[in-house]
Amino acid sequence: MSTIEAIQAPRSRYFFEALAPGGRRAFFLLGTVATCLLFAFPVFWLVLTSLRPGYAVYYVHRGSDFTLDNFREVLSQEIVLKALWNSFAIATLATVLSLGVTATSGYMLSRFRGTIPTAWFGAIYVFRCVPYVSWVLPLYFVTRAMGIFDTYWGLLLPHVAVHICFFSWIMKGFFDGIDPSMEYAAMIDGCSRWGAFLRVALPAAVPGLTALAVLCWLYTWNEFLFALILTAQNTPILTVVMAQFVHELGMEWHLMSATAVLALGPALIVTIFGQKYVIRGLKI
Amino acid sequence: MAGVANPMAGFRLVAVDEKKRFMLALIAPAVLVLVFFQILPILTGANASFRDWHLNDPKKTWIGLTNYAYVVRDREFLNVVLPNTFGFLAASVAASLIAGLMLALLLNRQFPGRWLVQTIVLLPLMVAPVIAAIMIRWMFNDQFGIVNVILEAFGIAPIAWLTQKWTAFFAILLTDVWLWTPWFALLLLAALQSLPPEPFEAAQIDAASAWRTFRYITLPMLRPVIVVCVVIRAIDAFRTFDIVWTISGGGPARATEVFSIYAYVEAFQFLNFGRGSAAAVLGAIIIVVFAMALYRLLNRWVEVSR
Repeated sequence: MSTIEAIQAPRSRYFFEALAPGGRRAFFLLGTVATCLLFAFPVFWLVLTSLRPGYAVYYVHRGSDFTLDNFREVLSQEIVLKALWNSFAIATLATVLSLGVTATSGYMLSRFRGTIPTAWFGAIYVFRCVPYVSWVLPLYFVTRAMGIFDTYWGLLLPHVAVHICFFSWIMKGFFDGIDPSMEYAAMIDGCSRWGAFLRVALPAAVPGLTALAVLCWLYTWNEFLFALILTAQNTPILTVVMAQFVHELGMEWHLMSATAVLALGPALIVTIFGQKYVIRGLKI
Repeated sequence: MAGVANPMAGFRLVAVDEKKRFMLALIAPAVLVLVFFQILPILTGANASFRDWHLNDPKKTWIGLTNYAYVVRDREFLNVVLPNTFGFLAASVAASLIAGLMLALLLNRQFPGRWLVQTIVLLPLMVAPVIAAIMIRWMFNDQFGIVNVILEAFGIAPIAWLTQKWTAFFAILLTDVWLWTPWFALLLLAALQSLPPEPFEAAQIDAASAWRTFRYITLPMLRPVIVVCVVIRAIDAFRTFDIVWTISGGGPARATEVFSIYAYVEAFQFLNFGRGSAAAVLGAIIIVVFAMALYRLLNRWVEVSR
């Protein structure tokens, strides 16, 4: 094994030298550009489709008629506007609630040993594995029985339940990385346990919380299955409305694409401003 | 009982209680949400799986293990759904791990335009999976899709992608890898940036080649993060629903059905809620066992390699 590698290592160096001076750099550049193209192409195609008039949408690669009418038409539909607002509200509220609920639970997992943390960790690990289909179907009946079907709460709380397992796990990692001696010092100085958590540990975990907030917001904004099953006319959700353009109301690819591009806007803003916090904060 | 006799023991009892109360208060909100919106529905579903519960005719009579027996004997489930699910899981996780690792290594270097490349690579995270799936279906459309147009430009006959099993499977896999590679890249990049610089400096002084530095320094230090990512992603890949549903709907002729689609189809298209629930419960048991075994295995592998 090691002899093979010993032979291969210099050969790969010769390979780049044999190309040309700067061959390595050109190779690297080419690879980067190809990767970017591969990742950007479906999104580029989506934007292109959204700019084509309805009659030309089946031959996107031919002709050069471009128009903004699709966006105008989509934005004049009341259901799309309502769905934009609902999706935004649900994503934001779900982020706030999930972080609030899992910060405490992750802190507990990180700071204490014994039967309660072990049992809780086992529970979230098992429930994390349970497939969505096996609880989203009965969840329909459960939210109906509680009288919160097709309301904000009926979609919000199941979303929070989805996030609890994964986020508690990640939060535990954040708090593990924070030295608890500061909290002990605060408690010796007369802070209660809650005070030590809220005033010392929580502020130190803010970079991690920011990273999770960005991921949670994007996830909820883009979620489909729960929105499909747990909402109806009263609370339209953007992903469901989008999908309906190509399912029930005929194949209106141009309108679907225009709505999808609108949905991409907020997500793009969140990602551009959030990515540096995500990379800085996400250290499992 | 000792608490009365020994004042110190009483003090300790109170102290333990206060600590326990704090611990329980910390997890109380999470537990409440979990009980009402996950455990209660799961129990409802488990209850339904033992009953004759058709959505159009909910008799709800207790029929024992009949639903389970049907699913376990179903050839569709054994010969198509299970191999599809695990094949999809393995291929998707392996491909997106390798691609994500390569991207993370690329983004960990300094070069002009790095910020732009990073934003482009993270694009799939912003696109809703259902939209990505609709777009892929559109691009792989046999008459109007851009993929066939490009193939034709190279003189290759158009392929009816979504009406054959393996090409449809390929399209689904491609979507999944496209969607999840950035996720791996992000987590691995965060891990790479938190590695200590000293081992790399030592390797540089010893004139180690780039490959050997990666193989003997970077990879071993990244292993814990890779294990966590692979376990989480494998669990998620097992329950994939929306992209398969949108791209192929499990077709052609149920050939690309994965486990989630099977349960959904049994419950909502054949309207047999009891049987769908039984399939879901079986799937849950399979994945819980699988995830535990995987976690143990990967964990042991990490410790041995250390």
